[in-house]
Amino acid sequence: MDAPGDFAPVQVVGLGKRFGRRRALDGVSLEVGAGEIVALVGPNGSGKTTLMRVLAGLARPSSGEARVFGREPFRERAQVMRRARFAFAPPALFPGLTAREHVAHLAAVGGARPGRAEVDAALELVGLAERARDRVRTFSFGMRQRLALAQSLLPRPELLVLDEPTDGLDPLAVLELRAILLRLREEHGLTVLLSSHLLLEVGELVDRMLVLAEGRPLFWGAPAELLEGAERIELTAEDTGLARAALAGAGVEVEEREDGGLSLPAQALTLTDAATLLERGGTRLASFHARRPSLEQALLARLRAAREERP
Amino acid sequence: MTLRLEGLRLWRSRQPALALGAVAFFLALMLLGFYTYAQSRTGGSAEFRYTYENRSYFNGLTFALYAFYFGFVLVLPIFAATEGGAQLAGDTGGGTLALLLSRPVSKARLFATKFALAAGYTAALVGAFLALALTVGLLLVGWGDLDLYPGVLQMTDRPQHLTQSEGLARFALAWPLASVGLLAPLAFSFLVSVWTRSAVNAVGTAVALYLVMYVVAEVHFFQDLRPLLFTSYLTFWRELFREEVDWPTLARDGAKLLAFTLLFLALAFRRFRRREEA
Repeated sequence: MDAPGDFAPVQVVGLGKRFGRRRALDGVSLEVGAGEIVALVGPNGSGKTTLMRVLAGLARPSSGEARVFGREPFRERAQVMRRARFAFAPPALFPGLTAREHVAHLAAVGGARPGRAEVDAALELVGLAERARDRVRTFSFGMRQRLALAQSLLPRPELLVLDEPTDGLDPLAVLELRAILLRLREEHGLTVLLSSHLLLEVGELVDRMLVLAEGRPLFWGAPAELLEGAERIELTAEDTGLARAALAGAGVEVEEREDGGLSLPAQALTLTDAATLLERGGTRLASFHARRPSLEQALLARLRAAREERP
Repeated sequence: MTLRLEGLRLWRSRQPALALGAVAFFLALMLLGFYTYAQSRTGGSAEFRYTYENRSYFNGLTFALYAFYFGFVLVLPIFAATEGGAQLAGDTGGGTLALLLSRPVSKARLFATKFALAAGYTAALVGAFLALALTVGLLLVGWGDLDLYPGVLQMTDRPQHLTQSEGLARFALAWPLASVGLLAPLAFSFLVSVWTRSAVNAVGTAVALYLVMYVVAEVHFFQDLRPLLFTSYLTFWRELFREEVDWPTLARDGAKLLAFTLLFLALAFRRFRRREEA
């Protein structure tokens, strides 16, 4: 019997996973609400896929708890899969089957009997209708990615978990994927949890994201929140050395940029204060402007900071 | 529906065609061996007088039985191990096990489906082997009764004579019994395959262990170990090719093989159910 519908699609509390001595996940918590699109972001080896495998019931947590629709995935995997669908990277498919057979037969594994029209609609959705009768072994990596998405949509799940779904897709296909996921959320209330190491590709799509670094949570929230406190002032002076000394003397935290300019936290100084301070220090302000970093830059800054803080 | 998917996968793989090709090649070699051996050894050689005193001894049924016997202990278990290894370790290594487990299907059902398919495939292969061996034998070696003499392959301890129709009926019975016999090496390969994530390793290990156990079961030095090895009972179906079949012995040895099969399957499933697919 399925769990009552009031459980969140994904609930993870203090999750830890070890492989021998290696700690793949450590103290990870997140909750994905119904209809949300959430991304797991982090560099390779940060624990994204391990977290997904725990949610899929393929791996047991070493500590903490993971629940999908209120169920413990490792023990109740079959029940979890009645409502959730997972597609892991790289897409593992059956090379001898045609795209149509692949989608139809995999749907039937759970007892569903999708009609030809439904199967073809799923293939059409991912742009593979023309190749429905071709064997999977003839498909490119990007086509396999799209087929993996098509097969995971039949029968329609409530939760879709996609591991690196944009890998191997051209920019147009990435845009199409975004549109498909948004449409499925809009029309069917689909909840999506996806992973990517490229924030740029998912930043515009997701409601919230969990950034992982070496298995530990680094950030959990809306992408815009990642930018909070990340704004910087960039200034240049006639003499960078004197400017740096003057700012440091005033207690401002200064970083030298690769182009020879200086970077300081936003709100550290006003334009007038900066000009005055540099004048007193024996040099003149040449340029001064606030810079809002991209999500990727903000993420990289956090990853670097986390790496530096590591004992 | 899982069985249908697995069946389609097997059908579309090269495995059945390769297996049939290997069986045909093996039979061609046996045929060549039969002709050259008979020609070189039957010219009044005292050493082989008892066995080959009558040239009618060589016929299609003899050829089919001897070819099947060798094939059963040396060729078919390798195909059984290959299929067993491909079913679990192959899917694990290829990532398709995770794909299947991402569907609402229990591990018990998946395991049972895979074993049922592999068992069916093995039985079909045994049937194809027997059919091909009999066809080749009857067409290219000759018609006649089935005469067996002691010594060769230890098929019998005293001369046996079966008419051609009796012989063919025994071959028909040998198909299901030999298929049951191969369930044990198949289950053993499943047991090996749940401990490894590579089909090549699974097949290699299962075949190597099978050969070791087969040799140990055949060597008199290890007589005390024989009852503990499933390979000691594998050719229990040979009993069918006696004038008077000892049915209780046949049933007892068949039951032992089934017990080994169940034991291997239970151990394999226990591991499969508990292991992580990470």
